[in-house]
Order: sequence, then C-alpha cells, then structure tokens
Amino acid sequence: MISLIRSEWLKLRTVRSNITMACFAVILPLAITLLTTAFIDVYSVDDATVSVVLLGSGSLSVLLFGIIGVLAITQEYSQGTIRLTLAANPRRIRAYVAKGIVLAILSGGLTAFIILVGNTTGEAILDSRGAVGKLSNGDMGQAYLALIALSVVVSLLGMAIGTLTRNPPSAVTILVLWPLLLESLIGGLLSVAISESIFKWMPFQTGLNSLRLEDSDMDFGRWGSVGYFGLWILALSLFALARFKRRDA
Amino acid sequence: MINVEGLTKKYGSTIAVDSLSFTVKPGRVTGFLGPNGSGKSTTMRCMIGLDRVHSGTALFDGKPYRELKKPLHEVGTLLDAGNAHSGRTARNHLRWLAMSNGMSSKRVDEVLELVGLMDVAKKRVGQFSLGMKQRLGLAAVMLGDPKVVILDEPANGLDPEGIRWIREMLKHLASQGRSVLVSSHLLSEMALMADDLIVIGKGRLITECTVSDFIDQYAKKWVVVKSPQLDSLVTLAQEQGMHVSLGQGVAEFHGVEAAMIGELAAKNNVVLHELSTQTGSLEDAFLEVTADAVQYHGHAETQSKGVAS
Repeated sequence: MISLIRSEWLKLRTVRSNITMACFAVILPLAITLLTTAFIDVYSVDDATVSVVLLGSGSLSVLLFGIIGVLAITQEYSQGTIRLTLAANPRRIRAYVAKGIVLAILSGGLTAFIILVGNTTGEAILDSRGAVGKLSNGDMGQAYLALIALSVVVSLLGMAIGTLTRNPPSAVTILVLWPLLLESLIGGLLSVAISESIFKWMPFQTGLNSLRLEDSDMDFGRWGSVGYFGLWILALSLFALARFKRRDA
Repeated sequence: MINVEGLTKKYGSTIAVDSLSFTVKPGRVTGFLGPNGSGKSTTMRCMIGLDRVHSGTALFDGKPYRELKKPLHEVGTLLDAGNAHSGRTARNHLRWLAMSNGMSSKRVDEVLELVGLMDVAKKRVGQFSLGMKQRLGLAAVMLGDPKVVILDEPANGLDPEGIRWIREMLKHLASQGRSVLVSSHLLSEMALMADDLIVIGKGRLITECTVSDFIDQYAKKWVVVKSPQLDSLVTLAQEQGMHVSLGQGVAEFHGVEAAMIGELAAKNNVVLHELSTQTGSLEDAFLEVTADAVQYHGHAETQSKGVAS
C-alpha cells in the first residue's frame, strides 16, 4: 500500500494544474488574511478577528481542494492513464483508497499550513499595529481543526464526484454548484413543502457551519456537523467506489 | 503462457467477444489478427481486467490478472500509446508506474535507455510524436521485465527503422522464453515477426495455427509459366479443363501442381523458360479467411465506376 500511495503522490505532484490549484488554495486565504490584518481599523479588532478572516477565506480553499480531488481522478480518464493505473493495480479498491489517502494528506496538511502561517502572521501584524484584544478565544482551535477536517472531506467529495462523472468540467460544476446553488434551491423548495427546519439537514451547509466560532450557532454542534457532512461524503464515496470497481476502464 | 477460455464480452445486446478461447505459448510471438471491430482490443482489455467479462477466463501462468500482486513484473501491456498524461515528463510517467509496483528509478532509466528515449526523458509527453509515445509505451511494458507481453498495434506511427526495431525486439523477447501476443494491421510485418497466429472475426475465433500453416491452408497457389510456345501450352491446358489466365508473356495456371504442367509441356515438346509455384501472401490469406467477418467495407473508386475499357 505504501508504494501505491507514493505512486499516487508522484502522479499528483507531477501535473502542473494540480500544483497551480494547490498554490491558489494556499495563497488565497493567506493573502486575504494578511491584507485584512494589515489594513483593518485597529479599533474594530477583537479576539476573533484573525480567526474569522482565516476561516472565511479558508472555506474558499476547501472548495479548491475539492477541485484538486476532482482533477486527481478525472485527469486519469481524460488522459487515458486510468488504464495504466488499473493495469498496474488491478485491485481497484486499493487504487481508490491510495488516491484518497494522498488527497486527504495533501488537503489536510496544506490547510494546517495555511492556519499556522495565517494565524501567526495575522496576529503578528495586528500586534505590530498596536491592536489590543487580538488573542485567541477558546473556540478558535476547534474551528481550525474543523477547517482541516472539512478540507479533507471536500477533497474526497471532489474525488467521488469525479469518479462518477469521469469528466472534469461537469464534476467541477457539480462541486461548485452544490454548496452555492443546489442546497439553497432544494432547501428552499423543501422548506415550503415540509418545514423551515429542513435547511439544517443540507449536508454542505451543515459542514460549513462547523467553521463558526460559537458552538451555539450550530444545530448539531461542531463535530456533529462535520460528522453529518462526513457521513454524506462517505455514502457518496462508497457509491463511487462501487461504480469504479464494476465499470469498464 | 496465456490461456484464454470461453471469454465473452457483451455491450448491451451486442456481443463483442464470443466464447473466445486460445493459447499464447512461451518462446513464441503470437500475432492477433482480425478486421476492424472484430474484438481484438476488447479481448486484450478483458484479459487484464480493464473490462468486465460476462463469462470465461484469461489466465497468466495459471492465475487471473486480478490475482497478480505486482502485475507489471508478470505481464507488460501496451494497449494505447496515448495513455500518458501530456503534461507529465516521460521519466515521471514511468516513475509513477515503477513506484506502484515497487521498482526503483534506476529501472526507469534502464528502460528509457532500452527504447532510445533517454535524451528526451525530461520532455513532456505532449511534445512527443506518435512514434516516441509508442517507444514510451514499450518502455512501460519492459519496466517489470515481464514474462508475458501484450501489445495492441505497437507499430502504429513508427517509421521503417522503428518498425524494424520493434520486430527485432519482439523476436528477441520471445527468444528469451517470454509469451508475446501482438496485434497489428501491418500484415507484412506480422508475416516477418510472428510464429503463431490467432485470427478472429466478429468476436469469434476463426483459426489458431502457425503462420506457415495459415498461409498453406488459406493462401491461393498458382503456377507461373514462361515459354516461347505459350499459346500452344495454354491451348493444351484448356483442353484438359485447366483454368489459365494470361499476362504479358506469362501464363498463370490455377488449381494445378507445377509437375502436371511440366509433364504436359514435356509430352508435347513445349520449351519452358520458367515453371514456378507462387503462393499468396499472409495478407491474401487473411483477406480470404476474414471476408465474411468484415464489418466495415470501403469501396475503391475504380470498383464503383467500373474499369474503363
């Protein structure tokens, strides 16, 4: 399994579009955090400013990690390398899991890096500008961990959607429209037909709720929200894996 | 050794491969022939588990492909030279493959050297010609030094030097005791490189034999005669019911042995300048045997317009 994981890691890092996307995912939240802390009115700063900015911009990275997940598998189909991958590793579940592990490590690791650099630098900037009350509050660490978990889960979601569609544009479209449009649309329709509270069952929205600083704002609590979203992705991944296992390459 | 037994593949109601059985022996190059759409590539994909089969088995030294722990060490396959990421360098393309089966980068360099791509190892595959991609595909085949080699149209896009190189390479691989299965549309090449043939049409086995047996069995034979008294000889032959066609100063006798013509000429004091038996090529035999199995027919302009008199 280790050699498979190393092989998948090499595959991922030797394609320029993956590197570009990963760079965007790292630079975007860092740039937003640094610019915000550099130019924000120091009198409006409170103990959650850096975290709020970092978590908000970090949710964009979460989507970009999802796109890397999409590309990791759809490139194999569009470039025909899936046949070589499966000829080299005919046990398909192992091939899928190895790719998933690499994506999880990449997205989780880079998100941890974003948090570490963004939080340290953001606080240092505010400190140098003489802002007071910038220190961490109790929920910040938990929210940061939820951001890491969300990055991992969404990268696996991207891979599952990519496996099902085998087509980069349609997989990316589904991934982006799911949180931005589909859930609002479906939730809106169902809330009229069934109940207002239906929104709390929308998986992506619930997952994103776990990034809030206050635990009281979440219907299922922070880790309940991550877990609920994670269960949806697990179910989708199992479905994708079943299709991947049976389908002609 | 490859043993394929009763392999069947269906796409909906269409049967692409129909109860196909054959054996590829070690130490021999086996040509896999069939018209377009006859199911050659599908068969190869089914053999290595890329496509699901409805029934039947393909065993490599007694094991199905899915049970091979490090398959690249057992079976090397080249199904399509285009199966490489255009943005990846040739070396990295081979490195990930090698890594997946526990091989070192040193082996990657060895196979790049073997196929003559060492100088362009750091170039992206997208910049490669089709011939270079074929060589890269062959490098991937040779990575694990496999006992079985399966190639689908490996000579596509290669220049004459490349075609000769691949022919010599496949013969060399077979001489080392490997089982080599190769499909190709270049029948003249197949005649030079293959020892055995498997011919299929519409997914079914038509014949499985050696190349020489195939030509003997299916290629037409005729006797060519040159003589200063050609007209007399032709008249004599026709009187005996022989089928003769005339060319420029040459007569071709069909369905008879050279000895019969020689005896006929001797009996009637006809002088012969040439008496030789001609045999059709592998291509002729192939066209003869697959005539009923061709799915996609083309029509030459001369045929549709008729021959001008």
